[in-house]
Amino acid sequence: MKQIFTIAIATSILLLASCAHKVTRIDPTETPDLSGNWNYTDSRITAEEMINQSLTGKWLSDHLQQKGKKPVVIVGFVTNKSHEHIEAETFMNDLEKSYITTEKVGLVQSGKKREEMRSEKADQQTNSTISTLKKFGLEKGADYILQGSINSIVDPYKRKKSVTYQIDLVLTNIETNEVVWIGDKKISKNIKN
Amino acid sequence: MKKILFTILVVSASFALKAQELAQDQNPNYKVSMDKYTAAQATLQTTMNTTVQNTYTAYDWRIAKSKRKAENRSYRRERALSNQYYYNNNYGYRNNYNQKYYRHRCR
Repeated sequence: MKQIFTIAIATSILLLASCAHKVTRIDPTETPDLSGNWNYTDSRITAEEMINQSLTGKWLSDHLQQKGKKPVVIVGFVTNKSHEHIEAETFMNDLEKSYITTEKVGLVQSGKKREEMRSEKADQQTNSTISTLKKFGLEKGADYILQGSINSIVDPYKRKKSVTYQIDLVLTNIETNEVVWIGDKKISKNIKN
Repeated sequence: MKKILFTILVVSASFALKAQELAQDQNPNYKVSMDKYTAAQATLQTTMNTTVQNTYTAYDWRIAKSKRKAENRSYRRERALSNQYYYNNNYGYRNNYNQKYYRHRCR
């Protein structure tokens, strides 16, 4: 009787444990494809390709030859014209990081972060000591602006569909409007529901 | 006469100064564009360093199926609620069974 009771309790514990919400830590580089939507693996592949294309592009050597110093880049906006919500920041940050770590390209802050920086500078004008306050008008001007777009083509048929994402990044000379580099990455998937 | 000469000198000097400000091959009308974009700078830079979401809806088999199911469910519910014979005809007796539907309709 005692044994049956113990077994019953053990079984119920096991059953309850199996129904519980479960979270497992995984390596970000091995993100599995669950729904077929854009995921971290796609972002990582895009970042790797863009870093490789950008840092080996002719624009870099041309700029160094003409100006004698490394180019300064500012990040503009990326338009997501695909059928999914995609945040470009995930792969753009990797690209920006590569610019800094390789020390081949200089990077200046843009957007809301720049606004915050300027607001901090404004605050310093009245609150910081004279020896530590940072002056206005000494920011580094960017030579190039990095802009991009994400497009997708979906071809569904019954339970199957093929999706192709195209990510394009364009680097333009701010002074001359000349496009100096275009990087692209295409990712295709076959999804069966 | 002296005054006229002085005016001409001042005007030509100012033109010369302005010409000096221009970089080589720079368009002399650059200020028109500069003023236009300086005025709109704050609004034009709001999307900087962000992803502008301009997505479209693609056909998805699963989504289409669930949407169809939801529409059918909603249609059946609407039909049931509007069916006065089955839901409100209690022949003068209070119908506890359908009371929640009745209350829902009156809300």
